[in-house]
Amino acid sequence: MKKASDFLKGCWYSVFRTGWPQSAKEQSLVMTSSLFLHLHPVKVKKRTLAFRLTLGLGMISFFLFVCLVVTGILLMLYYTPYPAAAYRSMKDLEFAVSFGWILRNMHRWAAHGMVLIVILHLCRVFYTGSYKKPREFNWAVGVFLLILTLGLSFTGYLLPWDQLAYWAITVGSTIASYVPVVGDKIRYLLVGGNVIGEGTLLRFYVLHCFILPFLMVLLISVHFWRIRKDGGLASPEESPLPENVLEGDSGQFPPSPKTYGLMALSEGGRHRKAQWGDPENEVFSWPHLLYRELLLFMIVSAGLMLISILFQAPLEEMANPTRTPNPAKAPWYFLGLQELVHYSALLGGVLIPAALVLFLVALPYLDRNPQGAGVWFHPARRQGLVLFTVCLALLTVLTLIGTFFRGPNWALVWPW
Amino acid sequence: MKPEHDAGVSRRNFLKWIGAGGLISTLGGLFVGSLRFLVPNVLYEPPTLFKVGKPTDFPLGQTTFLEKKRLFIINAEDGFYAISSICTHLGCNIRKAADRFECPCHGSKFSAVGDVVSGPAPRPLQWYRMKLSRTGDLMVDKGDLVDHRFRLKVVA
Repeated sequence: MKKASDFLKGCWYSVFRTGWPQSAKEQSLVMTSSLFLHLHPVKVKKRTLAFRLTLGLGMISFFLFVCLVVTGILLMLYYTPYPAAAYRSMKDLEFAVSFGWILRNMHRWAAHGMVLIVILHLCRVFYTGSYKKPREFNWAVGVFLLILTLGLSFTGYLLPWDQLAYWAITVGSTIASYVPVVGDKIRYLLVGGNVIGEGTLLRFYVLHCFILPFLMVLLISVHFWRIRKDGGLASPEESPLPENVLEGDSGQFPPSPKTYGLMALSEGGRHRKAQWGDPENEVFSWPHLLYRELLLFMIVSAGLMLISILFQAPLEEMANPTRTPNPAKAPWYFLGLQELVHYSALLGGVLIPAALVLFLVALPYLDRNPQGAGVWFHPARRQGLVLFTVCLALLTVLTLIGTFFRGPNWALVWPW
Repeated sequence: MKPEHDAGVSRRNFLKWIGAGGLISTLGGLFVGSLRFLVPNVLYEPPTLFKVGKPTDFPLGQTTFLEKKRLFIINAEDGFYAISSICTHLGCNIRKAADRFECPCHGSKFSAVGDVVSGPAPRPLQWYRMKLSRTGDLMVDKGDLVDHRFRLKVVA
């Protein structure tokens, strides 16, 4: 009996180097001995666990991405990326495959939810000044993650091959042709020819299922890794990084924000002040952070499932290139741009989005005010807050107009 | 005392540049090749030149919408002409409304000959060349754009 027990213990130890953590030492070990848990630091600052600081938006968007990957892989088992067959796959999922309808609904609503939550996450990071030095690069990575999220959603939009899909992609791909000089070539590459057809569907399928998710996983990894390397979430108490970090003396380790960054200490290099890693203000990630994440994951997946049971994902009639729906609308998150495109396709479809992306990427490098990191609506950032809020409000108003106040022939109508 | 070769490019630097050049040209070649690969050489799309029917199928003075071909055939006093039904703004199908064309997507309006009257469309509707086949059928070539003066005169 004892032999069997020892054998089982040996098997367990071959996979997990620790048991259920009972002591501080094991709480540390469990985090460092697992590839997945090692994404987290051993200890986190108490204040960063407060829900009001982050609203959990970053983790919610990651969990939605996980849900999208799982449901997406399952949906692929029944999906054929060929025009009429693609639409039939949707009908099969809805009526013939066991639980197919709920998986499709979950995928659809999680995609919409992820776009919304990623935008809100960006707003949270801005309003708490969390993009400030040394987190400029991670903000830029976040902006690219937002673009990838929109790209994933846009490419997935065509896959059902219904009227909604066909005409949203017709509008979207034609907007690409407004890019000066190379616009027509970009459209040709995207569509895989002159007209939206089987080539386009296959291209969008490959982009949606392989290329963009691969880039997404890559950038999410960089994003998470940078959070740790930049010292966790932004906090007003942290001392600023010493100047001219990159021009340190030859052979000296760069300063490390990690609490156990002994390499920097041993070399006597320029590092953050000792109080920055104050053990009094820190708790072990196991269980304090992990339990919170688990709870959030349960809430996200349960909420998603509930929404998917209550609300059916739209599926219109099969794509018909000869019948344009009136009005033909893009997905909701592009309706602000479509409203601008109504006035000028070059301005609304190319110049303004490009300027917005450039502005967002450059923002932490343009904003030299070091105050207000890790604090909601810090009064020292009044100008920046007002400017950002005005831009956000404009985009929201345009989106609302496009969603509720545009009717046939894109004429202004009342929503009731 | 400095070695002589310090004045020019050292062997180490020379090899470094050769290595970097080789790496860049390999990656550049792969990138250009991959980009070219994305441009299809063969398209399985409908032919751009096709028959649309006999001249008698199109009553004089009327505009006929060929839904599947996405174009209008107009039989005017001075001859036939073909106008695309694809809006030049964002590619939606326009509709005939009284004496003009309207786009349902963003409200562009075009005159009876396809000129922009109002809305965001940047260009007039496209006109396609029309021909008469040996069998006496009207043909449209969507790959050959013509201007507004084009007319195909068919002698009965």
